[in-house]
Order: sequence, then C-alpha cells, then structure tokens
Amino acid sequence: MEIIEKIKKYKLTVEQTEIQKICLHKLQSSPLPNPKSELWRLSNKSKFSNFLDFSLNEKDLEFDTPYPNTSQSIIRLVIGENCQTKLIEEDYSIQQLSEEELDKYIKEQISYFDQNENWSNLLNLSLSCKKNILGLKIKGSKIPPIEIFSHASSKSLSAKTLVIFLEKNCNLELLQVNLGKQKSSLSQSTFFFLEENSSLNHGVVSYGKNGSNLLNSLNVIQKSNSAYNLGSLHFKFNYARFEINIKQSEGNAKTNIKSMQITKNDEQISTYTKIDFNGPNGFLDQINKSLADDKSHAIFEGSIIVPKIAQKTDASQLSRNLLLSDLAQIDTKPQLEIIADDVKCKHGATISQLNEEELFYMRTRGITLAEASKLQLSSYFQEIISFIPVSKDRWDLLDKLLNEN
Amino acid sequence: MGVSFVKVYKANCNELFLDNMVNENLVKDVVKEPYKYGFITDIETEKIAKGLNEDIIRLISEKKEEPKYLLDFRLKAFKKWQKMEEPDWAGLGYKKIDYQDIIYYSAPKQKEKISSLEEVDPKLLETFDKLGIPLTEQKKLTNVAVDAVFDSVSIATTFREELAEHGVIFCSISEAVKNHSDLIEKYLGTVVPASDNYFAALNSAVFSDGSFVYIPKGVTCPMDLSSYFRINSGDSGQFERTLIIAEESSSVSYLEGCTAPMFDTNTLHAAVVELIALDDASIKYSTVQNWYAGDEAGVGGIFNFVTKRGKCLGKRSKISWSQVETGSAITWKYPSCLLLGEESVGEFYSVALTNNLQKADTGTKMIHIGPKTKSTIVSKGISAGNSINSYRGLVKMGTKAAGSRNYSQCDSMLIGDQASANTFPYIKSQQPNSEIEHEASTCRISEDQLFYLQSRGIEFEEAVSMMVSGFCRDVFNQLPMEFAAEADKLLALKLEGSVG
Repeated sequence: MEIIEKIKKYKLTVEQTEIQKICLHKLQSSPLPNPKSELWRLSNKSKFSNFLDFSLNEKDLEFDTPYPNTSQSIIRLVIGENCQTKLIEEDYSIQQLSEEELDKYIKEQISYFDQNENWSNLLNLSLSCKKNILGLKIKGSKIPPIEIFSHASSKSLSAKTLVIFLEKNCNLELLQVNLGKQKSSLSQSTFFFLEENSSLNHGVVSYGKNGSNLLNSLNVIQKSNSAYNLGSLHFKFNYARFEINIKQSEGNAKTNIKSMQITKNDEQISTYTKIDFNGPNGFLDQINKSLADDKSHAIFEGSIIVPKIAQKTDASQLSRNLLLSDLAQIDTKPQLEIIADDVKCKHGATISQLNEEELFYMRTRGITLAEASKLQLSSYFQEIISFIPVSKDRWDLLDKLLNEN
Repeated sequence: MGVSFVKVYKANCNELFLDNMVNENLVKDVVKEPYKYGFITDIETEKIAKGLNEDIIRLISEKKEEPKYLLDFRLKAFKKWQKMEEPDWAGLGYKKIDYQDIIYYSAPKQKEKISSLEEVDPKLLETFDKLGIPLTEQKKLTNVAVDAVFDSVSIATTFREELAEHGVIFCSISEAVKNHSDLIEKYLGTVVPASDNYFAALNSAVFSDGSFVYIPKGVTCPMDLSSYFRINSGDSGQFERTLIIAEESSSVSYLEGCTAPMFDTNTLHAAVVELIALDDASIKYSTVQNWYAGDEAGVGGIFNFVTKRGKCLGKRSKISWSQVETGSAITWKYPSCLLLGEESVGEFYSVALTNNLQKADTGTKMIHIGPKTKSTIVSKGISAGNSINSYRGLVKMGTKAAGSRNYSQCDSMLIGDQASANTFPYIKSQQPNSEIEHEASTCRISEDQLFYLQSRGIEFEEAVSMMVSGFCRDVFNQLPMEFAAEADKLLALKLEGSVG
C-alpha cells in the first residue's frame, strides 16, 4: 500500500492525467503483485521492495549518454527530453502521436490488463507524467535507424513510457537503451503496434550501474504478415525484470526473439515472456540465454499459448543457461499450452557450465584458462549480440560483457 | 474386445475415401470406448458414518487394532490437515469436495480372520476374476503375487509362503502394523511426511489399508509383486498407503492396478506411496491406472489425488517409476525421487491418455541432493476429446549435487482440436557442475502417416494403434513383461485395437 500512498502524495504537487488516475485506481485493488503467483514467485522480495523504495521526484536530470551521436544517419531520441518530434522526408515520416491518439491507445491497452500479469505496466502508467511518455507514428521506408534512450535518475524511481505505431509496409531498425544510475530505479514500459506487412528489428540494451534496478515491460501487438525481431541484453542490475508480452493478433506473423541476461555478485535478473498466438500460421523462434556467476540468480519463464484458432503454428523456444558458481542459481521454466492440434511446437532447456573438453583443448594449445573461458563466453554472447540492431558496429557490448565486473 | 468399434468402423469405412473429415471422426471414435470395469459388486459391506473428525479417526484406528503411536500419527496429521488449505495452483477447476460427505472406512463383511483363500467371499473372488486379477493360486503360471484391496481393506494376498521362503514380506499394511510394527514405526511417514501436502495429510489421518513390502538384504524378489485396488462403494473415499522398503543390494518390481465402478458422483482417491531404497537396492514401481473417468459429459469419475515419492537413501540405489494413466476424471500426481545417496538413479516413464472431459496434471519431481546422481524423465501425453493433459515436473540440482545429470523428454500428441496439451517443466539448478537437459514437442496423428499405412493395406484402427504404440514405445519398453500385457489391454480399451 505504501507505494500508492507515495504516488498519491507525490501527485498532489503534480497534475495527474486521466490515465494515471485509472491506473492508480486499478493498483489500489492490488497494490502489490501476488508473491504466490508464478510470475512473481521467484522475485527477490527485499530487492523488489528496494526497487520501490526510492523517491518519486527526479533529482538530477543530467545524463551522460554514452557513445555520443556522431553519425548523421542515426536518429537519437531521449525520453523525457524530446517533446516535439516531427520528421517528414520524401520516403518516410516520424511524427509524434497526438494526445488523443495516445490516450485512446493506452486506455484500450489498460482495458486488457490483468492486475498480476501487467502490474509493471500499471505501475509505470500511474507514475509516467506526460513529459515521460513518448508516442511515435512511423511510416514509409528507408528510415534511418533510431536510438531511444531511457535514463534513470539517481536516488529516485522514475518511469518512462514508449509507444510506437508502425504503419503498413514500414521497415524499421530501433535500438532501445535503458541506462541505470547508481542507486536508482527505472520503470520502462514499451508498447509497439505493428501494422500489416511491417517489420521491426528491435534491440534492447539495459545497462545498469551498481545498485540500479529496472522493471522493463515490452508489449507488442502484431498484425498479419508483420515481422518482429528482438535482440535484448540485460546486465549489471541489482534487480531487473524484463517482461515480454507478444500477441500475434491475427496470426500469420513472424516473431524472433534472442534475449540474454547476465548476473553477477548478488544480482537478480529475470525474463518472463508470454507469446500469444491468436490466429493461424504463426511463427516463433525464441532463444533465451542466462549466465549466473558469484551469488547471483537468473530466472527465465516463457509461455507459449496456442489456442484452437492458431492452427499451423510453428513455435520453438530454447532456454540455455550457464551456471558458473557454486553459490549462483538458475531457474528456468519454458512452458507450452496447446489446444490447436495441427501445430509444431517444441521447447528445450539446458543448464550446465563451460564445456570442459573445449577448455582443455584450448589450454593444450597454449591459451590460458582465463582466455579460454573468455573465448567460450564470447561465442556464447555473440549469437545474441549480433542480433541486436544498430549497436553492432558502434557499441562494444562484447567488450563490456567480458571485461567489466 | 472391439465389438463396438467394429460397428463404428464399418459404418464409416465406406465414407472413408469420400470425406477427409471422416478420418478425424474415426480417430475420435477409436478413443471412445465404454468403460468396461464399471460394474458394482453386490456385497454386504461394513461402513462407518459419514464425516471426518477425531472420533472417526479413533474409530478407524480402533477397528484396525492399531498401536498408540499410529493413532498419534493419525491425530497429528489430522490436526495439520485442518490447518491446511486445499491447493488450487494446478487450476483443475473441480467442484469443491465436501470432506464431511465421505465415508472414510468401508469394508466387505467377512469372517474376521482368513486363513486361506477358500474363506474369502466367492463374490469378491468373482469380482477380481472379472477384472482379470488372478487371486486363486492355481493360476501360478502368471508368477505374480497379488495383494487385492477392496474399498478400504486388503482382502487377500497370494503367494505368501513362497515369498516368505526368501524372507520377503508382502502383506497388507494393517497386517504389517500388527506383525512388523518396528519397521512401520521406523519408516512410515519418513518419505512423505504427514504435513507434506493437503491430500497426504488427509491420507495420513484416515488411511485404511494398502500394501507393505519388505525385501531383506541381498534378496532379489523371486516374482513381481502386485496390488490391485478396487473402489466398490460410491460414497466412500479410498485412502490406501503403500510402503516399500528395499534393504541393501535387494531388488523388487512392484505393479499396481486400479478400477472402480461407474457412479454419477465423484469419488475421492487420495493415496500415499512411499519407497525407500538403501545401498545398491533397486525398486521398480509400475502403475496402470484405470479408475472410472466419468461419462462423456464429465459426470462422475474418480478424483485421483495421489502422493508418490521414493527416497534413494543408499549409494547407487535406484528407483524407477513407470505409469500408464488412462482413467480418473482428474488425475493429480507427481511420482517423485529424492536422490540422496551418491550415484543414485531416479527414473520416470509415463504415458497419460485423456479423453472426453478428463483432466490429467501429472509429471515428476527429481530432487538431486547427493553427488553424481542421475535422473531420466520420459513423459508421453495423449489428449483427445475436450480433455486437458498437462505435464508438470520439477528438476532440482541442490548445492551438493556435483556431477549430477538429468535428461527430460516430454512429448504430447493431440487428437482433435478441442483437447489441450500443456507442458510446465520447472528447472532449478544451484550446482554448476551438473547438467540438465529438457526437451518437449507436440504433434498429432499425421494424415500422411495414416494414409501411408492404409495404402499398405493396414486397417485404419490398426494404423492408429500402431502410431500411438510407436509414440509410447519408449515407456512401454520400461514396463515389466507381466504388466505390459495389462497395460496394453487398458490402453487398448481407450484406443481400441491392438496397441503394442
């Protein structure tokens, strides 16, 4: 209940939008997620309460965005900063959604929300003020890649919301970067709506600092013949949750997900995915990789739901996990719920450590153990990193993962 | 066997090449076979009043002339049960059970002590004969010792003398309480504690009978042991308890079968099975479960809420569960292995078939505690009609389970587009030096394969059976020879024809 009191108190000073009121009202009936539910059962309670523990007033608004944008061909947006975005070129247009459009869409989404499943979204939308909601409508082709940043601000809990409509026949590369600050919490909710024949290559890089927390929720609705490719990476967060909800609303769509989480020290990072096939001929190829070291805890739960209408669905889900320390733990639960009978669905899960034979081979060739492990890890990471758009040329993600603690 | 099917088949075969849909309908028809064991034996039974309270528990204990420690065990469990809440996490959505509307003790009336089988009520013998269970020892060819449990009590155990020669104890648990009290006191409730879960607590409070097996050190049980459970009265629950202890370097294969008559009410079956394997011992526990599943509209049927767990206490011990689940309105069971001993092995092989409105939520738990432990899980689910068939399993590697391995495979087959197949594997590892592999897939009876088999002159019925049999082969191979025939028969009842 505390969090609600806090939001209410804070909102007395700031103007409250209608959406915030609706979400706050919904939150009141279940102020905190049910810790017994499958989605929250493994969440570390003290870490989660630490997430909520920060003040809602954003203190410092100065960001040190890494990798200054030197390239002219990349559009960079920072949520909370760019209030007006309008780019109309010959081949494409990127326009801010009007308030009415945004309101209508978000309200529609809220009406489908389940208190437990969408708790993160409810919290986000009841915290997000107008300034921190970025809504875009994108049309056309030959669109330059876009980078969108969400910053946490230190010693506070901030919320950022991103809504993107991709019009018909539109192709886009988008990198979303969530940056944590020391001792901060960031709630990020993202809503994508992919029209027919559109395709989105989406990258999510969530990069924390010591003691930063993240609640990241990604919601995608795909119309028929759309393609959605996601490459994501979460690391260096004290506590992070990445929730992916994808709905192929008419079937006939393609989804590819390659996600990875890396936990060290006593961090806890979890990924929850729910893929809903609501029509025939859907396709999914998903791989989640986790690496847990020291005393950390990595969690993956993925569900694939194939109702009767979703005949000829082809879905596969793979969870691959590396457990590198005696004190670390990994939980993984890929799950299938199938009613349609003419489908190809499979899933797999493995948990192990680095391959000893390969390590031994490399050592016999004069490579030190440390280097050999790095080599193995880099091949493990590379599959995911190379799937993250925009970043692969400029962002030295692999270096960061291998060399930073 | 197969009379009704043949009719269906003949009615349909002319249309086979006319309408593609027929194929699907035929598959559905194949899985619609009436329950054969639904008869009721008209026998005088002794029942106690409905309801559950401390006095009832005292009464059950008194009727069974139990020692005080067992009564205390029951009362303690009852107190715990009262504080527990009925679980609903599996989302099975059944009507709430009224625990005060159940008779907790029901026994066929017969002479107090039975010294030989001739004294058993012929009606009872006839019942088991109808079920195909050889109680008369003339049928020695089968070489399976049987303990038959009718409602709440064990009525007969065969081949006892021969087993006794080898030092094997095989009797009803009530008898074991009287004659081998030390073993019962030492082991009862050590694998499934009374407070383990709601239904285990209920069972611990009111368990009526069940089987007890003790295999002494170094003995390989000379024959397969089997218990056969029969629920006869509609208003009594069945709460049996099985305890199997395999001493060092011993081995045993145990088979369990169950049927019930057709009633339009739901009957509760909440059993507890505990297995203990010491150093180098091995226990193979096979079940063919065919409780009445309710009718097509989902009326009646058994609620099968069972707790089965084995403890591999000793080094290199092995516990293997194999099960064929075809009956029950709702099946809710997870035969598990606690792998404590170094290099101990746990296995789980399962075929679960659901039809009409049946719900099966079954799987296993493999808890790796000791080092170098190994487990294998093979689960095959077949769902037809409007049924729900879920695999739910847990594989856990504890911090000390270095060098342990697990391999799991869950396959589902869907027949028709109304049935649902779910897979919920929970995997947890706290030991880097261990390996876990899990894979699952879903398929259906493929038209191409059916067409191919039919084009080779194999009849439709046989073709379906062949494919189902092929799908389940990994599990059937694990069933003991003596039991495979019965398993085949039971699966064939639902899938008709010559499965296997």
